[in-house]
Amino acid sequence: MYLYLPVALTSINVLIPVGLGLAVGLLSGLFGVGGGFLMTPLLIMLGIPSTVAAATDSNQIVAASTSGTYAHWKIGNVDFKMGFYLLAGGFAGGLAGVQGIKVLKAMGNADFVIKITYVLMLGIVGSYMFFESLQSMKKKKAEAVEVKPGKESWMTKFLKSLPLQTHFEKSGVTHSVLVPVIFGGFVGILAAVMGVGGGFLMVPVMVYILRMPMHVVVGTSLFQILFNCIEVTFLQAYTNHSVDFILAVLLLIGSTLGAQVGTVFGRKLKADQLKVILAGIVLLVTVKMVFDLTLSPSLLLGLGGGH
Amino acid sequence: MKTNEKLKLKNENLKMKSERSGSRLLIALFVLLGLIISGAPASAELTAIANHDHISIDFFYHGSNVSVRGVSDPGADLIIKISAPDGHQALRQKGKVGGLLWMNVGTIDFEQVPALYFVTSSKKVDDILSKEEMAKYVIGYEALEKHVGLKPVKDEVEKSRWFNEFLKYKENSKLYSSASENITFSQKDGKQNYYTLFEWPYQAAPGDYTVTVYAVKNNKVVEKAEQKIVVAQAGVVKQLAGMAKNNASVYGILSILAALGAGFGVGLIFRKGGGAH
Repeated sequence: MYLYLPVALTSINVLIPVGLGLAVGLLSGLFGVGGGFLMTPLLIMLGIPSTVAAATDSNQIVAASTSGTYAHWKIGNVDFKMGFYLLAGGFAGGLAGVQGIKVLKAMGNADFVIKITYVLMLGIVGSYMFFESLQSMKKKKAEAVEVKPGKESWMTKFLKSLPLQTHFEKSGVTHSVLVPVIFGGFVGILAAVMGVGGGFLMVPVMVYILRMPMHVVVGTSLFQILFNCIEVTFLQAYTNHSVDFILAVLLLIGSTLGAQVGTVFGRKLKADQLKVILAGIVLLVTVKMVFDLTLSPSLLLGLGGGH
Repeated sequence: MKTNEKLKLKNENLKMKSERSGSRLLIALFVLLGLIISGAPASAELTAIANHDHISIDFFYHGSNVSVRGVSDPGADLIIKISAPDGHQALRQKGKVGGLLWMNVGTIDFEQVPALYFVTSSKKVDDILSKEEMAKYVIGYEALEKHVGLKPVKDEVEKSRWFNEFLKYKENSKLYSSASENITFSQKDGKQNYYTLFEWPYQAAPGDYTVTVYAVKNNKVVEKAEQKIVVAQAGVVKQLAGMAKNNASVYGILSILAALGAGFGVGLIFRKGGGAH
């Protein structure tokens, strides 16, 4: 069955967005990412204008992350305190990032910088997570339960020396308030520059820098993605008129279900397994982007907007 | 040829003389005289009717078919063109950066270019119409290329290259097509009828489109008939599209509320039906 999308001005087979929503929602519930880095390019491939694809995806993520946050909250996996600090930083970073794009555009090489930043960030984050979690999986098998609490990196030492230390009960970690605010801001800047929600950056920050347990990371990440996407959806609808309600509904039918299923699956997987799979997906997207950048495109002209 | 037909018509008019009132004949003669003096299309034999002049884009719209039919002079070839009004379109231009990476490198502005352009004909256009006439009536891609303006391009070679890329882009979204030899003719009541069918793409935006049928003889357009097609949104589609534009803040808030509601709703359903965890 085909439905006409009133803002995207195109017609689509309803099974496609529902299926896409299901797949991306599953990832969302499993890993705590919004999945914009997968969904937006796929929608563009289906003939949705890029501005509409990005805006509508954020509307859809509101639903998927509500569903996911709710499911994770029920099983006690959301650190609201940490989430609020990350949000505060992310909000400020987002505003700075938008200004950054303006500067880049004025300099005339915005597209180049954005694409390269995107590929590099995906590549670095993906490879680091992939090898780190593979190693820790091997270690655990070989050395059974051998924890090394004595060995602290310079990073951890530095973070501990900062003022305003506070304890985050849910995550069981103690950090300066500045840490989530600053790193949230950093992710916010990058996310705004790349035009994505930044879940795939926020998750590693929480795992490796804030040292939060993986399952709490997923729930907390979804919580802050929810608020980010509410803001983005409103701004996109208000300033660009680019949210397609019908497309969003089709996507969220799938994604809300997917997020629930993902949460259930996530509980059955170990933290390292989750990290390896997420890293694998991030690396696949990186490879796809490198191909897009280096292979001759079939069309040399296209609509503007988006990245 | 033209004058022969006109004479025939005149004779017919004269035959009717005895049956009809003098004033009517007078009007007919004046009209005929007017036609001869102005040199306007000969016999007004050509007609064009589209199967629908109003295409509604509703919730289940997935494109349509537009058939064009009418009566034509048996001695003439036909060219049928459907086009949107000339407009401006800006497209991002992809190019290689550093000899390796493909990305958007600039914008090309296309002026005087229709958003949709279909041409079909009874025989190959090149065989039945002169270049001058093609350019005059903007028939065929070659004529269209001369008609449109591109900025910024250095020379004709570059213009031609990017115009071809433009055609590829448009044909890819089904908004441009050029075909020939797919108009069928049939005889009925001593008249020649023609018929052709266009697939109307769902990608075509709401707006006014014009079907023009050209009768061609001796490399020249001798007659023209037009029919308008209005494509408009209707029902839910129209309301949503209107709201997204004119009531953006309410539309945004409703979209967010719907998403929040759906997320919570599904969460609750899973808890009730759960037991899985």
